[in-house]
Amino acid sequence: MANKKVISIVLCIMCMALTMGIFIQMKTVKKYSTAEGQNYDQNNLRAEVLKYREKYENTLKEIEKIDDELEKNIEEATNQNSDLEDAKNQIQQGNKLIGTTEVTGPGAIIKLADSEIESSKVLDPSLLVVHDIDIFYIINELKNAGAEAISVNEQRIVSTTAIECGGNIITVNGEKIGSPFTIKAIGLPENLVNLDRTGGYLEKMREAGLTAEFKKSNNVTIPKYSGIINYKYAKSIN
Amino acid sequence: MVFFAIIIGCLLGAIIGMNAPTISYTYSSYLAIAIIAALDSVFGGIASVINKKFDIKIFISGFFGNAILAILLTILGEKLNVDIYLAAIVVFVWRMFMNLGTIRRYYVEKWTNQVKKTHKQKPEPKEEIDSTEEKNI
Repeated sequence: MANKKVISIVLCIMCMALTMGIFIQMKTVKKYSTAEGQNYDQNNLRAEVLKYREKYENTLKEIEKIDDELEKNIEEATNQNSDLEDAKNQIQQGNKLIGTTEVTGPGAIIKLADSEIESSKVLDPSLLVVHDIDIFYIINELKNAGAEAISVNEQRIVSTTAIECGGNIITVNGEKIGSPFTIKAIGLPENLVNLDRTGGYLEKMREAGLTAEFKKSNNVTIPKYSGIINYKYAKSIN
Repeated sequence: MVFFAIIIGCLLGAIIGMNAPTISYTYSSYLAIAIIAALDSVFGGIASVINKKFDIKIFISGFFGNAILAILLTILGEKLNVDIYLAAIVVFVWRMFMNLGTIRRYYVEKWTNQVKKTHKQKPEPKEEIDSTEEKNI
């Protein structure tokens, strides 16, 4: 009888381990595979890409950790010294200006998307997609309306940002982004809302059949610029 | 009692597995091969119960040993650029089918014996087919 008890406990634990493994595996596969690949090569390539993405994310996390550590060290070093406190505040202010810190505040969210009309039905299908120029123009108008921080699909617009056309995608900060586009801006919402004026650019885009929504928001969070701003040639004149 | 223990274990495992965090994609291939190895051990265990050769020590060591060996072979294969895990899958699935065959044969036999007992006077043609099949396999 005692032997049977031991056997049943062992079997219970083993079944638990097995089903746990199966469910975890199922969840993992579901999380990572969006569409089932057709052949072996495609699957291998996808696995490779996923592995690299994972490495990339891990490295990003490490960078974040190091940034936190740096901040903590700065905090510790400036705790007593009032001179250093000023320097710290200056650094923070500078970081905010160049866009290397996450910022939040009132502002607006603009959503742009390609037209839903089928491209075979029109003469020029190029008119049905959102172009880099459109985004460029809207960012310019946002800046004109006093926006303090702008991001396109979570890519922060900083002084070195380039927006280029890359075929059916657009490159911002070297990162590929595609339709639908979400442009977030922090600024006085009453000023930013002028983008949605009659005869404005957004209305022109809507007339062309594209989706262009404007929404005021009291709480917009704009991510920090994750790249490196490195000035090699520009020297400051003292 | 053993049966209940298995069901409780499965249910517990399912609940924990559903709430557990997902593992990273790099390790999911190792987990997959470990699952196949463990499943093979389970079927092997059931088959050995039927053959009355069941030994809990052999069962446990096979369950974990096979899984670990399969993972190690997969890692080795990755290092050598040979897909060893394919061979492991073939072997494990083949053995699974063999064991499943043993289990199936046992239950079909049991069932036909019961049918024979209840219809002693008029034996059905079905049971003859079953017995010939048995010999063929």
